[in-house]
Amino acid sequence: MDITLRNVVKIFGSIKVLDGVSLSVPSGRKTALIGPNGSGKSTLTRILMGMLACEGEVLLDGLSPFARRERLARRMAYVPQSPPQLSASVADVVRAVARIRDLEERRIAVIAAQFDLDLGALAGRPIRALSAGMKQKLLIALALSSRADLLILDEPTASLDVSARARFFSLFAEMSGTATLLLCSHRLEEIQHLVEHVVALDGGRVIFDGPVETFLQTRAVSLMEVVTTRNSHADWLRAHGFRPAFGSSWVRSVARAEKMALLNEIVAQFDGDLDNVVIRDVETLSDKAWEARSCADG
Amino acid sequence: MKVGGFKRMAAVARLDLVEVFQSRWLVFHSVLYALLAALFLFAGLRESSVLGYTGMSRLLLSLCHALILVLPLLALTASGLVVNRHREDGTLELLFSLPVSRGEYFVAVSAVRYLVLLVPLLVLMPLLGLADRLLFGHVVPWVFIGRSLTISATLLWSFAGLGLAISTFVRNRTKALMYLLITWIVCVGGLDFALMGLMLQWRLNAETVFVLSGLNPVQSSRLALLSSAEPSLAILGPVGFYLANRVGHSWLFLLGTLQPALIGWASWYVAWRHFRRGDLV
Ligand SMILES: Nc1ncnc2c1ncn2[C@@H]1O[C@H](COP(=O)(O)OP(=O)(O)O)[C@@H](O)[C@H]1O
Ligand SMILES: [Mg+2]
Repeated sequence: MDITLRNVVKIFGSIKVLDGVSLSVPSGRKTALIGPNGSGKSTLTRILMGMLACEGEVLLDGLSPFARRERLARRMAYVPQSPPQLSASVADVVRAVARIRDLEERRIAVIAAQFDLDLGALAGRPIRALSAGMKQKLLIALALSSRADLLILDEPTASLDVSARARFFSLFAEMSGTATLLLCSHRLEEIQHLVEHVVALDGGRVIFDGPVETFLQTRAVSLMEVVTTRNSHADWLRAHGFRPAFGSSWVRSVARAEKMALLNEIVAQFDGDLDNVVIRDVETLSDKAWEARSCADG
Repeated sequence: MKVGGFKRMAAVARLDLVEVFQSRWLVFHSVLYALLAALFLFAGLRESSVLGYTGMSRLLLSLCHALILVLPLLALTASGLVVNRHREDGTLELLFSLPVSRGEYFVAVSAVRYLVLLVPLLVLMPLLGLADRLLFGHVVPWVFIGRSLTISATLLWSFAGLGLAISTFVRNRTKALMYLLITWIVCVGGLDFALMGLMLQWRLNAETVFVLSGLNPVQSSRLALLSSAEPSLAILGPVGFYLANRVGHSWLFLLGTLQPALIGWASWYVAWRHFRRGDLV
């Protein structure tokens, strides 16, 4: 299912949450929608699901999801960022979804089992009594069982622990097949191997729209922290773009492609005076986000 | 609507019914219905032992009074926190990511919330009539029971409609609850005697009072219900008595059923129009 957005604007009260978003996603492409919290990712996914009205043009295979939601929804599946807090039991919800989608309940159970979720054992449990991770797995199983052409997952791994995440990603890569995929996250590191394309939002605007490799080359940076035992290197560090952080440590960002060269230079320059070097890969979404992140990190 | 539509609607209704059976207000409702039934039987017991046979109307009258006060409150609590709650707890986001239409959802929850109130009454009232007959040997007043049920059904619907409108328009649940209480107090408090006071104070003429009381579904239901049981001044109150003598009992019954039903449908329609167009989450 292909996606076309032209100058989409969404205003809540007096806040412009999406500010002229234009996108064109061909059928079958796997896209990461990234951006800091509050950048409008969830709002955009809800607009695509036809749940929110907006200004501008939104077309899925040429149809407006807001006006033709029921028709398109047969071919779409969605995992919301926050799972529903229902008193209805797992069995009730699975049955309802199966009925509405004309699916076999067994199919959902089989997929859930691959995510280590035993629907038989959980049948009588109210949805809201499940752990956040279980809810998320259930929703993912419901979405994957639908055989949808367009899968939209809004921070699907937020509540999963590290091993469950890894498992989720490998299974998901297998199961999403040829469907068009939109995966929201505020961290690209996690999902970069699942996608081929990146759309980055910041403050409701698209600040990047291109292949994941290009994003990593141009936008992705590493945060380098150098700890020295002597102060005599201060001038050299300053001249090389570092700024003092706490204690005797200095930090700067460096394009990911250049980080190894810089590291070699530092090792050569400092010789025995180097106490420690920490390098972390992050992605700059904007100067603002970068500031926030280096402040939090510093 | 096609078969698929009914199937989806049934699935949504079923899910909402589960939600209803888990909710606290259902307990509250059951207790109130049980209290009404107990009151009725207790009254029947007393009358039959002390006074012997006095006819059903007196017993039913007390039940009617209680019903008129309680049914609007029940309908408002059952329907006034549906859509806003579903929005908040993620039900809407779940359902509307599926091929469920807005209409299917809205009709399903309206029907569930209304029938959950009405069905117990449809069972309870005839059962009480039969119990009264078995225990105390009174004649079952089927006509009266039929009329009361009709009036209760329309009264419930008028407030279910108002409640749905509030739950659709007011997103904040605490605020919605406040509006629900205000609606109940205004309608129940705006009964005959309050209107009488206004009539005297502002020198309203009888027609104005008629119109004002006609706007209040509690009032018109009450007149219809009571005039068929005991058309006396003391029971009906001044305005009701005036109206009963002026327009007659049949017209009062007609007014007392049509008007609340109309208010219910009008509010429901306003709620639906709002729900049909806006943001879903
Ligand atoms: N229904 C709503 N009403 C008002 N403001 C909203 C609503 N939904 C989202 N927002 C606001 O829109 C902004 C973007 O939110 P969101 O799309 O959830 O961002 P993200 O998913 O990228 O974290 C936030 O400031 C949020 O508070
Ligand atoms: Mg979000």
